[in-house]
Amino acid sequence: MQYRFPLLAVAMITGFAASAGAGEPWSEKAIGTHVSQSTLVGPLSAEQLQQLVEQGEVLFTAKFTDDDGVGRPMATQAIIPTKRKRPAPQLFQRLAGSDSNACSSCHNDPLPGGAGDLVTNVFVSEGFTNPDFDTTDPQFSNERNTNHLMGAGLVELLAREMSADLQSQRRAALKTARASGAAQAIDLNTKGVSFGSLTAHPDGMVDVSRLDGIDTDLVIRPFSQKGVITSLRQFTVNALNHHHGMQATERFGPRWTGDADFDADGVAGEITEGDVSALVAWQATRKAPHRIQPDNTTWQTLAIRGDGIFDDLDCGQCHRRALPLNDLTFADPGPFDAAGTLRPGERETGAVYDLSDLPWVAALPRDANGAVMVPLFGDLKRHRIADQQVTELGNELLGQRFVDRDVFMTSELWGIASTAPYGHRGDLTTLDRVIRAHGGDARDSRDQYIALDQDDRTALIAFLKTLVIEP
Amino acid sequence: MKKVTTGTIAAIAVLIPLHAIGETDPARPAMPPMDVPLMNEQARSAGVNHVYSGPWEFFVGGGAASFDCNGDRFPDLALAGGENPARLFVNRSNPGGQLSFESRELGIAPEDAKNVTGLYPIDIDNDGFRDLVLLRVGRNILLKGGPDCTFENAGRAFAFDGGRAWTTAFAATFENGQAYPTLAFGNYVDRTAPGSPWGTCHDNVLMRPSATENPDYSEPEILSPGHCSLSMIFTDWNRSGTPALRVTNDRHYYRDGEEQLWRVDPGKPPRLYRRSDGWKRVNIWGMGIAEGDIDADGYPEYALTSMGDTKLQTLDEDVEEGRPVYRDIAFERNATAHRPYVGDDLKPSTGWHSEFADVNNDGLLDLFIAKGNVEQMPDFAAFDPDNLLLGQHDGTFVEVGALSGIDLDRRGRGAVLADFDMDGALDLVVVNREAPTSVFRNQGGRTSWGARPMGNWLQIELQQDGANRNAVGATILVKSGNATRLRKVQAGGGHASSHAGFIHVGTGVAERAQIRVQWPDGEWSPAYRVFANNFVVIKRGQSEAHYWYPQ
Repeated sequence: MQYRFPLLAVAMITGFAASAGAGEPWSEKAIGTHVSQSTLVGPLSAEQLQQLVEQGEVLFTAKFTDDDGVGRPMATQAIIPTKRKRPAPQLFQRLAGSDSNACSSCHNDPLPGGAGDLVTNVFVSEGFTNPDFDTTDPQFSNERNTNHLMGAGLVELLAREMSADLQSQRRAALKTARASGAAQAIDLNTKGVSFGSLTAHPDGMVDVSRLDGIDTDLVIRPFSQKGVITSLRQFTVNALNHHHGMQATERFGPRWTGDADFDADGVAGEITEGDVSALVAWQATRKAPHRIQPDNTTWQTLAIRGDGIFDDLDCGQCHRRALPLNDLTFADPGPFDAAGTLRPGERETGAVYDLSDLPWVAALPRDANGAVMVPLFGDLKRHRIADQQVTELGNELLGQRFVDRDVFMTSELWGIASTAPYGHRGDLTTLDRVIRAHGGDARDSRDQYIALDQDDRTALIAFLKTLVIEP
Repeated sequence: MKKVTTGTIAAIAVLIPLHAIGETDPARPAMPPMDVPLMNEQARSAGVNHVYSGPWEFFVGGGAASFDCNGDRFPDLALAGGENPARLFVNRSNPGGQLSFESRELGIAPEDAKNVTGLYPIDIDNDGFRDLVLLRVGRNILLKGGPDCTFENAGRAFAFDGGRAWTTAFAATFENGQAYPTLAFGNYVDRTAPGSPWGTCHDNVLMRPSATENPDYSEPEILSPGHCSLSMIFTDWNRSGTPALRVTNDRHYYRDGEEQLWRVDPGKPPRLYRRSDGWKRVNIWGMGIAEGDIDADGYPEYALTSMGDTKLQTLDEDVEEGRPVYRDIAFERNATAHRPYVGDDLKPSTGWHSEFADVNNDGLLDLFIAKGNVEQMPDFAAFDPDNLLLGQHDGTFVEVGALSGIDLDRRGRGAVLADFDMDGALDLVVVNREAPTSVFRNQGGRTSWGARPMGNWLQIELQQDGANRNAVGATILVKSGNATRLRKVQAGGGHASSHAGFIHVGTGVAERAQIRVQWPDGEWSPAYRVFANNFVVIKRGQSEAHYWYPQ
């Protein structure tokens, strides 16, 4: 094994400039200059955040090129850096990837950061044993539709608070168990969402066999349809490699791989820590979807009726209308990532920015305690969504990261009207169809929906159609 | 694995860029790209004030044992003292905080605590308390462990005759079907023999338990010839499921001796592997053995310390299967550690304790070697700092002893790597001859502003009912993606030192892993799915692993 560290690349990543884009007009690079993490220290002013977001947008919409290091001829799509045995036969390949030119190639409906229709589906595979799969046979990968990222900063903050809350409950139970000498069985609840229970024993052992909808480390991983991605930062690093072959130094660099050009495409330092931070800032500040007041009076009437039916059917049991968020301070890196994604302490000081400065955040309602009510229509919890009779959403064959094949994170419904098609495969074209596909934990609500008369079903759809993404 | 020449290694060293962590100290070697653990010596503040000393008999030895003696799962510490009494240091550290130990006497007869060269923890009588084997100049002692770090001499209870030899090595295994462990003692020079010390090595001893309701070691077997052993380990070198006894011997005193591998089949007398079996003569000043499966192929590598080159042996894959033919890969892996890496002294090193572990949690095995002149041997380096060789992705090692801060001017002997503050990073205790014991807290990857978090990790405790409660001899496989990391639960090896308790595995950037255990009787466990950065307790027969949280 040789270290590859082309001089060109060295100059590129050491000669930081302020902007991620730009460069000479005739340059075939999408990234003119990289973002320096060393400038992202402590609380960012509104102007600094704005600049970072602009850099992030350049990167999010950049069509990466060979000169940037696109493609991964000798690396797989796996989130753990994994070498291929043979060079990839093609630079792009719609199944195993690399499968797109830009982030916005898929996240673009109805605007950059949005979702994607069926054509943007990706094929999720661990990428360890079948890096070359060239079939849509579900025994090799799970086909997933592109999620939207609007409001993602608030989603991550909610997940952080919930994880901290649950882990605090575990600590308290352990402390009590140790002090009392008796096992402590506790219910785990945060923000009104139950995550089952655990038992803490006096010797420090914890029985997690009765957890519900969360990983055993009590970290809520709010991103991806499966709910297995901890943070925007982790998602960004994963996706850059999987979809573009753009490898972030913080995971694929020499520190963890011994190789400055792990994918052996001749470009080292393809994505700096600062680049990832810019992409995170851009995603974290995407305006959340909201609920519109229809001009059409009939729609208004139906939506009001459907709003009530939503409750009558207990859809909100999982699709919680809103979750309270106490703190709008977004620290990047965040507190729950593991090695391979930049963590607090890996730099002398991380960046912090206040999402409450964003006008659309300031406009969100607050509860009596001053917490921002984030109207995501979700619970950030995983549920089984198929059963013996209703199987459509249980159509995957592969579990993912310890999560069973028919268990998924509750889809947040905010923006649902703007993000057809539906279902994790994006193969259900109507809301009616996807509601009917709900089995498992949602079976009762689904059955009640089917039992409604047509007008009531229409009213529910009309209500959901008010949940839109707008610029 | 592609062979890597030293030329390549040199080229790599030149090409490695300074890591972007702000350090440009010209007095220090260039930072390698991986995390270099920042080891902060804090024995004094931690309450460990202990010296191994004594005359010639204590030029060797100087062991350390880390194990939990009070049931809180924090590793406690027992240190040999030579002519000073061996002492116990009960771990009072807070998780992730400064190290803190409460010094205690072992609570045994004062004369028994003296003349100790090494210590090994193992639960001999399966009562849930780890017992402690004291290697001594003179009568060896088995201490039966009890609640709250109490010990009592179990010589009579276990029908154990500690002999009168100068004992410097130990290993134990639970032979198939046995309720109690088989104990092997390695002895050094027979000082009473005519012509001593040259060519007067004591025989070694194998003690198999008699089939009774209690441990009974009244029928020892002699392992002859002995060649002045300084370390031994039971090792399943051929994946047969029946470990053999590997012994490293000090050529300084033996005549016609060599390194040894004893075949120890249950119910049969042990026998040496011979030339006809493929065993090659190797003559070294064998001081310590570490076993580590660098490539996780099930066939372990061995680091054998010596005066001068450390040997790194791997089973020769070109040789007929089942033959113990080993190839030295230390040179090609940059692991010879043959002379001091700092200072002006170009004389050969003297290596003692060796231990494989992942000290920077990057998923690769590293190699620690304690170093130190025997006493005042003029042909060997006087300033001979301990080595910390970090494993690299190309299979080679890079020396970071100076960068990590363990390059003290002390004569190292025994050592243990264990996570004393339970923060996921392995700390280091080194017993030094005629100098204070060093206690290094691993603070994380060295940076210009201090330290940063290193890679992900798991620490795994195995439990089974009945005999061999701590599953000595078990194999642990930790799989993340395509990478599998392998660890063995062992009792023995090193230099008069060993650790019992959580088995540490660095997982690099893997945030989750599947663990499979091959229990000592060969049965495989189901796969346990766990998240990294956790302490995991696996009890045989249970379908789920459990997390444990320190407090």
